[in-house]
Amino acid sequence: MLLAQLLISGIQTGVLYALTAAGFALIFGATRIFHFAHGAAYALAGYGFVFAVRAGWSWPLAALLATVLAVGFGLFMDAFVYRPIQRHTGSFFTVFVAAFGVVIVVQSGIEIGFGRAFVAVTSPLTHASAVLPGLYLARAFWIALAVAVVMFGALGLFLARTRTGIALRALAENPDLLRAYGLSARRLSALAFALGSALAVPGAVLGAATTGLSPSVASHVMLVSLAASVVGGIGSLRGAAVGGLVLGVAESLVVSVLDTQWSEAAGFVVLFAFILFRPRGIFGAALAR
Amino acid sequence: MIERRMLLRAGLGAAAGGLALAHARAEAEPYVLGTLFPMAGPNAEYGTIFTEGAQLALTHLTADKLLSRPLVLKAEDSQGTPQGGAVGMSKLVNVDHALYVLIGFTGVSKAAAPIGTRAKVVMVNGGGVGPDLAGLSPYYWNVIPLASAEVSRIAPFLVAKGWKRVALIYMDDPFGNGLRKSMQSDLPKAGGEIAGLFAITPAEQQFSALAAKVRDARPDVVYFASYGAQQAQIIKQLRDNGIDQQLVTYSGALIPSVRSLPQAEGLIFTVQTAPWSATDPVTKRFLADWQATHKDLPSVYHQNYYNAVRLFGLLAHGLEQQGKPVDGDSLRAELLRVRRFALVGGEGTFDDLGDLSVPIDIETLKGGQPVKLD
Repeated sequence: MLLAQLLISGIQTGVLYALTAAGFALIFGATRIFHFAHGAAYALAGYGFVFAVRAGWSWPLAALLATVLAVGFGLFMDAFVYRPIQRHTGSFFTVFVAAFGVVIVVQSGIEIGFGRAFVAVTSPLTHASAVLPGLYLARAFWIALAVAVVMFGALGLFLARTRTGIALRALAENPDLLRAYGLSARRLSALAFALGSALAVPGAVLGAATTGLSPSVASHVMLVSLAASVVGGIGSLRGAAVGGLVLGVAESLVVSVLDTQWSEAAGFVVLFAFILFRPRGIFGAALAR
Repeated sequence: MIERRMLLRAGLGAAAGGLALAHARAEAEPYVLGTLFPMAGPNAEYGTIFTEGAQLALTHLTADKLLSRPLVLKAEDSQGTPQGGAVGMSKLVNVDHALYVLIGFTGVSKAAAPIGTRAKVVMVNGGGVGPDLAGLSPYYWNVIPLASAEVSRIAPFLVAKGWKRVALIYMDDPFGNGLRKSMQSDLPKAGGEIAGLFAITPAEQQFSALAAKVRDARPDVVYFASYGAQQAQIIKQLRDNGIDQQLVTYSGALIPSVRSLPQAEGLIFTVQTAPWSATDPVTKRFLADWQATHKDLPSVYHQNYYNAVRLFGLLAHGLEQQGKPVDGDSLRAELLRVRRFALVGGEGTFDDLGDLSVPIDIETLKGGQPVKLD
């Protein structure tokens, strides 16, 4: 029963990793911008949600505020940080340092606004009860699963069936050709940031309710998103989703044979294994040498 | 000839003036006290608390005009890590020229102590509780009871309550491993047993898998030894994942993020005896001024770092009265000469290692407030 319990814990963690990683992958896949500040969108959404719930807002309204904050942050980064850099140097290093700086500013802002302590939202949804002897499940598990299925389904349909979605996919391939067809690469880039940042919201909201948040959560989220993207295949949305799930389940299942402190390390062992033996990830395209 | 005499007089006058100026400058130069606390990251909450206690003592010492030279506090962020501790201590010693450093956290202390010892800088710990902090260096003193003393106090209590099988969740660092060894030694002596050992790391945030393993060990009680924001995450996730057993910990849990957590209700912990009912003037002044500003009771961490700064004031005052220089060696000699000091909590006595002996209570959280159990 321990294995079943660990598997369930891993799936719950994994789907939240998957959503957050998919946001990063969507942005990177469409714009080729290494959006290191994606974790800051998660932190802003999480803290915004906690703030609203503490202020007495209902959960849906609080989640809406979290979405507005995350999307607003993504659009801000695109318009006022990455675009000016790309107009000049546009190097990977400059983009990375700028995003890293923004993460520090966001973390400091959160520390000023909320203090440096841990914050969480208390809800009966996160309290697990026994469904079988030794097997505990919280309603948050089903919510996380349902949200992930709905969001991935909607996103998949949007990218595959709508003109804007197809244009978004084409943006990464050939922005000049897009312009030739009368489409605006700038608008599509902004859309990628908006959608990608919105994908961080479910993880942030459920994270605030299940594990809680601390001001430094952004760097942890970014590390997981990056690892999931590499495992799944850089730039692949589907890959990031599967990669996130694989990491979450690996982190949890390893506890059945090793001490709990090796839990996070297990995720990175998976990452290194992929880098060594399948560097293009699960769904990534092979690169020609 | 006249010109030569005049020149000699002028030269001597200038030299005398220079000496007087240098003397006056030395008189006006402040005593630099350093703080090496975590000011960012998941343990930053402690840094704020520790600093508040030290600042109140600084205000009191300045108002009392106890010392002939002003006092300044220079802060370095230890980040709660040994690496941060070593870097911060080097800066305090070599750049800020601090002669007395307030320090917290076991790993930080163990990394910083050799640097402070080489420079003969006194380090006073009021927050770290790793058992091996006792006698770390002749210049390293503790004004807080260490975890070994807290474990010795709680182990018989747990067994007496019928909680004989203890699941121990501990940080895999110098503090956590020290506490684990104390528990492995003291619990069997009291008639209990370790039901399971669960090592965690400072960066860990997901504890649902840990909860499954703890439940599998079927303990009577769960003792956890972590610090900072992680403690609240452990409590919340253990409770959310169906761990209904009594949760027990050490004094590190007395921070606002744990006290305000609904799932922490009923948490049992050991902590040095809070002296708020003491009637001595030092305690009364500390308490009154604290409550005037914060409208709440202080924590023992506030008390400890207040005492650490006050101790410097008393030692330096004694040395000034004797016309002796104030440095690491003279401060240590003065501590061992006097031994007993009027501190918050009453008269405190230091042993040969420079450790203050403090009684320990067993308390529980009720409505976010600590309530004495034993």
